[in-house]
Amino acid sequence: MTYFRGFLGRTLVVTLVAGSSLSGAALAQGQASQPGSKSDQWIHVRVESKEDHGETVRVNVPMEMAVKVLPAIHQDRLHDGKVRIEGHHMEDVDCQAILDAVRTSRDGEYVTVQSNTNDVRVAKKGEYLYIHVTDKDSGKRSAAKDGKQGANSAAARESKVEVKVPMKVVDALFSAGKDELDVLAALRALSAHGDTELVTVKDDQNTVRIWVDSKNIAD
Amino acid sequence: MLMLAKAALGLSAMAAAASAYVFHEGVIRVDVEERRDAGSQVHFWVPATVVSTGMHFMPKERIRHTADKVRPYLPVLREVSKELQKYPEAELLDVTSGSDRVRIAMRGGKLWIDAVSEDGDVVHVSVPAEVLRDVADQLESQAPGV
Repeated sequence: MTYFRGFLGRTLVVTLVAGSSLSGAALAQGQASQPGSKSDQWIHVRVESKEDHGETVRVNVPMEMAVKVLPAIHQDRLHDGKVRIEGHHMEDVDCQAILDAVRTSRDGEYVTVQSNTNDVRVAKKGEYLYIHVTDKDSGKRSAAKDGKQGANSAAARESKVEVKVPMKVVDALFSAGKDELDVLAALRALSAHGDTELVTVKDDQNTVRIWVDSKNIAD
Repeated sequence: MLMLAKAALGLSAMAAAASAYVFHEGVIRVDVEERRDAGSQVHFWVPATVVSTGMHFMPKERIRHTADKVRPYLPVLREVSKELQKYPEAELLDVTSGSDRVRIAMRGGKLWIDAVSEDGDVVHVSVPAEVLRDVADQLESQAPGV
């Protein structure tokens, strides 16, 4: 009986210790993974295509993983999280000067191009840089292919690209120098920024969305 | 009689401890089903410990050769495997094209790769993230300079 009581006592102690350490670990994990905390950011890419059988691609990458893995990739122009852009006629463009000018300027539209084939709009509003491109040609081609005519039909099929980037991310992207894009610094800036919709591409057949939030699944 | 009972108890405890050790890293599971005449059907479960422990007993020359071949990818494998352990439940990739589907996800601390083709061929692979890290670490230790 004494032996049994001792065994019971030891079991109780072990159970209590295990229980308290497990609940402590669970609590710590819960605190670490609070939704909305910036270390729990995810990059989501969703591509939906109606062409052929219909295709869907959903990619969800933890921001922290992207930041850790990117410097380990050494492929072609990508090294240490930076992409070399030499030979892309960047010699004559002082990106830093342009960025400085944009940063210090007031909100507004900087570039507006309207033509028969494309509309391009570059604007700054608050802490975001907006780039909107509408490809009118694709709408006309698509409407003609389906034998439909008229401005409304073509407009409905136009390809639209909308990019919304926080200015801090743009700064970080061009922080490496003239011939390089610092993707790693941009990711870090993006991670510090919080939830944001980055890229949306829409035409009558395809939809592409790239966004950052704290959910580990795409909605 | 008492001696026999004690011996049986000892053996059972040893068997339980051995099983616990063998399966403590989880199980690697591979299922391949080809839905055509004479298509192959492969199903196997391997304790993950067999892989990580088995690598210690592989000929050093063979491991060094493999490490040399995969050297450019080892830093990525190391970082990915290390990071994956932090996300035990996560959908990473889901590609659907008609009836073809490929999914890569973390479930219960394991990396799951599921592929289903239009013809009905099925491939399911699940590997504990810890094993990927062990393999990356061991290959890296044989590929100095990575």
